[in-house]
Amino acid sequence: MAAVLPQQSNAGTYTFASQPRAVKQRKKYRDPLQQTEVGEEDATGMYGNIMYDRRIVRGNTYAQHTLPAHAQPDPIEIQRQQENRRRAIARKRAKDQLRPRSPDPVEGRKHIDVQTELYLEELSDRVEEADVECQTDAFLDRPPSPLFIQAKTGVDIATQIIEGDLFDFDVEVKPILEVIVGKTVEQSLLEVMEEEELANLRQQQRAFEELRNAELVEQQRLEEQERRHREEKERRMKQQREVLRKEKETAEKIAARAFAQSYLADLVPSVFGTLSDNGYFYDPVERDVEQGFLPWLMEQVEDQLERNQHGRMVLDGMLREVVAKRIELYRKLEEMAPSQGPGSHSASAIFGDKLSGELAATATTTESEEGEKPAEEAAEQPPATEGTEEAGEAPEQTPADEEAPAADE
Amino acid sequence: MAHTVISAKYPPQIDATRTPFAYGDRALPRLNRELNDETLLVRQRAVMSLCDYLHDPEHIAEALRVGIASSLKNLLTDKNLTVRQKSTECLFVIAGHAIGRDSFLEHSLIIPVANLFNDSEDIARKNAHLAIEMISETPPGAEGIVEANLVPTLVNKLKNELDEIKELILNTLHYCMRIDTAKALAAGAMEVFTSLLTHKAHTIRAKAARDIMDLSVPLDGKNKAVDCKAVEELIKLLKDESPDVRANAAGAIMIITITTKGKYTAIKGEAIKPLVVLVDDETSEVRLNALKALTCLSEAPEGREVLLTHVELIQARTKDPIPAVCKAAEIAVRVITWKP
Repeated sequence: MAAVLPQQSNAGTYTFASQPRAVKQRKKYRDPLQQTEVGEEDATGMYGNIMYDRRIVRGNTYAQHTLPAHAQPDPIEIQRQQENRRRAIARKRAKDQLRPRSPDPVEGRKHIDVQTELYLEELSDRVEEADVECQTDAFLDRPPSPLFIQAKTGVDIATQIIEGDLFDFDVEVKPILEVIVGKTVEQSLLEVMEEEELANLRQQQRAFEELRNAELVEQQRLEEQERRHREEKERRMKQQREVLRKEKETAEKIAARAFAQSYLADLVPSVFGTLSDNGYFYDPVERDVEQGFLPWLMEQVEDQLERNQHGRMVLDGMLREVVAKRIELYRKLEEMAPSQGPGSHSASAIFGDKLSGELAATATTTESEEGEKPAEEAAEQPPATEGTEEAGEAPEQTPADEEAPAADE
Repeated sequence: MAHTVISAKYPPQIDATRTPFAYGDRALPRLNRELNDETLLVRQRAVMSLCDYLHDPEHIAEALRVGIASSLKNLLTDKNLTVRQKSTECLFVIAGHAIGRDSFLEHSLIIPVANLFNDSEDIARKNAHLAIEMISETPPGAEGIVEANLVPTLVNKLKNELDEIKELILNTLHYCMRIDTAKALAAGAMEVFTSLLTHKAHTIRAKAARDIMDLSVPLDGKNKAVDCKAVEELIKLLKDESPDVRANAAGAIMIITITTKGKYTAIKGEAIKPLVVLVDDETSEVRLNALKALTCLSEAPEGREVLLTHVELIQARTKDPIPAVCKAAEIAVRVITWKP
């Protein structure tokens, strides 16, 4: 029995309601001629693939084919559905027509299904049914699963390894031992080689150093030797030079001495000559006379002259007085007789001359007396003449002196 | 029973003190990585394996390429003794090869290794000295050491160190002095060497005499040697049992007696007789050095006087198998019989 689906269920939300009913008596075999109702998909009565069951939502829920919100169906939707229905009917009709059918029965007869096998089978629509029920025991623990011991399958085989079966220890251990020993020996050989190499290098170095030291010493010794020899040479040369220098100096000295000697040989007589020319070699008597006698003589002369001088001065003084007095007298006379003015001057002049003549006469007499005394040296003549000249001058001067004081008076 | 399935676990380590090597050329990169690990145990193992691995010269080249040198440099300042000791040993092995020495100079490893001279443990110090000694055997290395001002440090260390280490230091100084003697002289090395001439170990005596020889090459050194009374000590050593000691003592005397002062000090110290004895020594080096010393001494007239009596002995030496000795003997005879 098909469920009656209310038409309104297509609008708004999906609802389904069906009256409770008993399980349908289902036929054993499908009825091929059964015509399904138009527009209905018998999802509940017959077998339905849940993949195509509308009640189960599958797939994306956000791209779902949701039903419109309104309860009223869209007019377009309704139209479309009506069209789909019409098309389905048309399709079905077309299919039915194409299906081959058996020809219609003759009048009065009816087609009936008949079994044609040898043995007839009872066909019934009734499906064999059996009731099964199941109920767990309440409050019983689940017993542990029994130990699953696999049933023994296969064949039992035993084996035993006896000495020498697997491997021969001595043979097998040889390569391992070789490796171990080899590595150790290699390592130690390397170290020993290193040391040997070092020792060899050092040996070579030592040999080289020996030679080098020897050469170094040789070089330094030669240097030192050179230096010493050079210094020695220098010293010797210096000495030699000193000697040469001294020799030269001595030669020069000798030459100079000889030259000086010859030069001076002439010098002595010429010196003596000059000295004697200059009067350095004197006759002592002559000298004595010159040094001692003559000064004394001169002093005496001077004394004498002084005395003369004094005497003359006294005389002059006397004369002056006399003359002065006379002049006074004559002036007085002249004052008394002024017309004889110029005559007075000439008179005084004449008197002056006379006086001087008198004085000169007295001087010359005294001089000649003294001149007679020393008559030895000719050198006295000039002094004597000089003395007379002086005396001559002196009287000439004295009248002038007399004139002056007289005029002043 | 062993499974046929390949196990996911590593095979059991046979030697717990070493890391197993990775295969082929993965060994060194892995070791390098492990050297910088934070776990002490890993580092220790790595450095111990490395030490053995580096004995092969090919491995050294590769190790340097991978950058083992800088890892070892970091390890030098590690707190654990084993790590330090082994890393210096590795550096010593590396320094035994030319490329290793080059890399030493590249990575400026000299100074960090030298800092280990003051380590509290003997073995670390010894290895450090071994490494430095190896470096000093090549001229650029010796220059590097001199530039790093290590010479005065080394001279100071000579005064109070273990004997083995003293030997190493003497060796190092010998090579450094081939490059530069001024610093050593300034650091007072002559006095230290002179004091070592009386050491009980003959190797130390020999090396000290050799170092005196090196130090006396410049004029200052010669004068210093005479001042420190090294000449008398050296003359005593001419009668030593060990041929090395005799050879080096004769060598030192030969260098010092080049100066006039040295000559007269030696003659006064009666050096001529022992030297004449040494002219017939078995070791060629001893003969050579003795002949050279006699040559220097015969530059002085007093020396010549004495040596004229021994001329025949020296003449015999001109037939010596070693060519250097022959030559030296000829020169000696020539100088002795020279008349100004």
